[in-house]
Order: sequence, then C-alpha cells, then structure tokens
Amino acid sequence: MSLAARYKCPVCNADAAVAITPELLREAAEKGAVRMLARCPRGHAAVLTIDQYGYIRSALPVRENARQDCEITEKAPTSIRPRLAAVLEKGAVTEADVLLLEKAKAAGWVICV
Amino acid sequence: MREFMQILGGSRGLKLFMQYERYKLAAAVRAALECGAECRKPPNEVVSLLFSIAKRKGVLKEGCQLAHVPEPKAPPPQAVEEYFQLIDDLVVDRMCEYVAKPPSDVITSEEALAYYQALVSAPFYVAFRRAIYGKLAKLYKYRTILDIGAGTQDPLDILDVCEIHGARCELTAHEVDQRICADLERLASKHGFNVACGWERLGNYDIAVVQNVLHWATDPLKVLMTARRHAKNMFLSQGVVEGSGIVFVMTKVLGSIRSFTWKEVEALARQAGWRMKRRYAKYPDYLALFA
Repeated sequence: MSLAARYKCPVCNADAAVAITPELLREAAEKGAVRMLARCPRGHAAVLTIDQYGYIRSALPVRENARQDCEITEKAPTSIRPRLAAVLEKGAVTEADVLLLEKAKAAGWVICV
Repeated sequence: MREFMQILGGSRGLKLFMQYERYKLAAAVRAALECGAECRKPPNEVVSLLFSIAKRKGVLKEGCQLAHVPEPKAPPPQAVEEYFQLIDDLVVDRMCEYVAKPPSDVITSEEALAYYQALVSAPFYVAFRRAIYGKLAKLYKYRTILDIGAGTQDPLDILDVCEIHGARCELTAHEVDQRICADLERLASKHGFNVACGWERLGNYDIAVVQNVLHWATDPLKVLMTARRHAKNMFLSQGVVEGSGIVFVMTKVLGSIRSFTWKEVEALARQAGWRMKRRYAKYPDYLALFA
C-alpha cells in the first residue's frame, strides 16, 4: 500500500502529488532522504527531496532546456561520456549537470545547434 | 561513513580501490619510462611528482626499476569505475605527451575546467563528501559555516546535508579562482548562500570546512591560519599520498601544486594554531576536527 504526498509545482504553483511507497520510505530512512523526479498535472518536472517520514522537504524545478540538438563529440573523454549522454537525454536536472554541460561545451566535448 | 563504505563495497571494495590505485600508478610510470622520461632527471613537474609518489609507494625502486604490479582480478567497485576511467583519460593515456610537453600544452584551460567539474561532481565524490559532512563533521549542528576553497560542488553538498537534517545553515563559500567564483555567484543567488571571492571579505564563523584544498594552495599554511582567524572550529579533509597517489598527478595536470602525507597535513594544522579535537582517519583521506 502506498500513501500520497502533496506539493506545489515550483514552476506553476499547481497542486500535485506523488505516491510514497514503503520502499521509498525505507530508502529515505537509510540515506537520510531520497530524491525523485515528478511531474505536476501541467507537465512541469520537479526534483523532490523526501525524508523518511514521507514529508517533501523541497521541490525544485528541472531545467529541460539543454536537451535538444546537442551531441557529444569525439574530443569528449571516455570517462565522462556516459554522464554527458545522460544529461543530454534527460536534461540537466541538477546544478552540477548544468555546469558540466556548460564546461563540456566550452571544452568542445559537446556541440549544440 | 558506513553509507560511503557500502557504496564502495565494504572493506573488500576499499582493498580493491587501493589495488587499482597502485596498478594505475604503475601503468603511468611505465608509460613515462617507455616514452623516454629519466628517473634521475624527470622532464617536468608532472613526471617528477609521478616518480616521487611512485618511489614513496614502492612502485618505482632503486635504479629506476618498476615493481611488478599485477592488474587486480576483480573489476573496480562500480562507484569508482568513472574515477579510474578519468585517471586513464587524463593521466595514463596522456603520459607520453606530458613527458614531451607541459600540461598546459596537452590540456586546454577549458578542458581542465570541464575535467575539474566532472571530478568534483562525480557521484562517488558527492557521496563521500555528504557522508563526511553529515556523519563525521555533523555540519548541520553549526549555524555559520565557511567553506574555504569551495569549488562549485562543495557548497551544494553542504546545503544538502543541512537540508536533510532540517537545519538552516548560513553558508559562506570562499574561492580564489575567478572563473569558479563567477559560477559560485550564480549558484549562490539560486541557493541562498554567500560568496567570498578572495581572502578579504571573510567574517566570523562557527566552523570552517577545508576539503581537499591544501594541494591546490600556493601557501597551505596561510589557508589554515586564515581559517583559524575566522572560525572557532575546522573540519579538515585532505587526500594524502598514503591512500591516493595517482590522484595527485591527475590534479597536478589540472593545476594543483603538491601532494601531502597525513603527518604533513596534521603538522600544518598544528602550526596554524589549531588543536585537534578528533581525528577520524589518517588515510586514504585525512579527516579530523580541530578547534
């Protein structure tokens, strides 16, 4: 059985909810908190931080503007390619993703049109 | 630290990590020797640091003989696979070029910044920092925190630890690199922390965090003395050669200055006027709380 936790969409302020499963609560209890991606009824993505009691500590907007028309060049090092590929596929979810993508573009590892 | 050790695969994972460190160090030395570097007269600071660490760890023996270091049979712990690939990309595979040219001719400054960002935001490193800030330093118990030589990822990790524990930490991120400072200013406006670019604008804090900063500093004693002047406590975390050798060569390529033993780190902290309250580890990372 799962419960629902409510949050306000950080983009449009709409009421939204996510299912809080026992597995999620267990993971939060082990790690202190868990992060999950959720979408509000209007489709805006947010990263939620949920504590071990199922309480949503924060809801941060996801940047999705980095997705389109970018590709990884041959200059990109093997070690960082999987992370860059994930960022390009899912969008830059965190600040670290945003910075990595920005630096990767400057280094010529990623080109965007 | 239990969580971080779990990520690493327990003590077996830590042992494998150390084996791979040694294996990659030997691979880098072999590449340097095959490309004509001389033990007695290394061509530049990168190769010189590589050889001195290899000698200290018994990988390079008397008479410039490379010790036999077999490849570990098991793959590296999954959490640090990217780290070792990064070492291959940045150190082992390019060692021939470092023998012939200074690092700035091999890696552009833009690439160095991108590598830096990839390193500091690598999942294993983020997990490590969150574990030490949450479980050891318990930073959420302090109201005002000064993060010295913060870089772009450290402040986010500290704020995460505070948030997870429901604490409202007042964070000041200090940085001397102007390019990183510009990134920090942007992050600060979104995440609600202060930025101090340079040493002049510091106030008074409950605790200073000095996490893997000393090897980047031209004057590490000044860093610790400044921390002493502005903070009541200090949490010091510093990679040391007893644990991680090859990583110092990697950061050297990116612009760091030198390596440290745990004794040197501790001696510097004492010299700066700090009194040790608790030492958590000597290596692979020196971790201690000072007052």
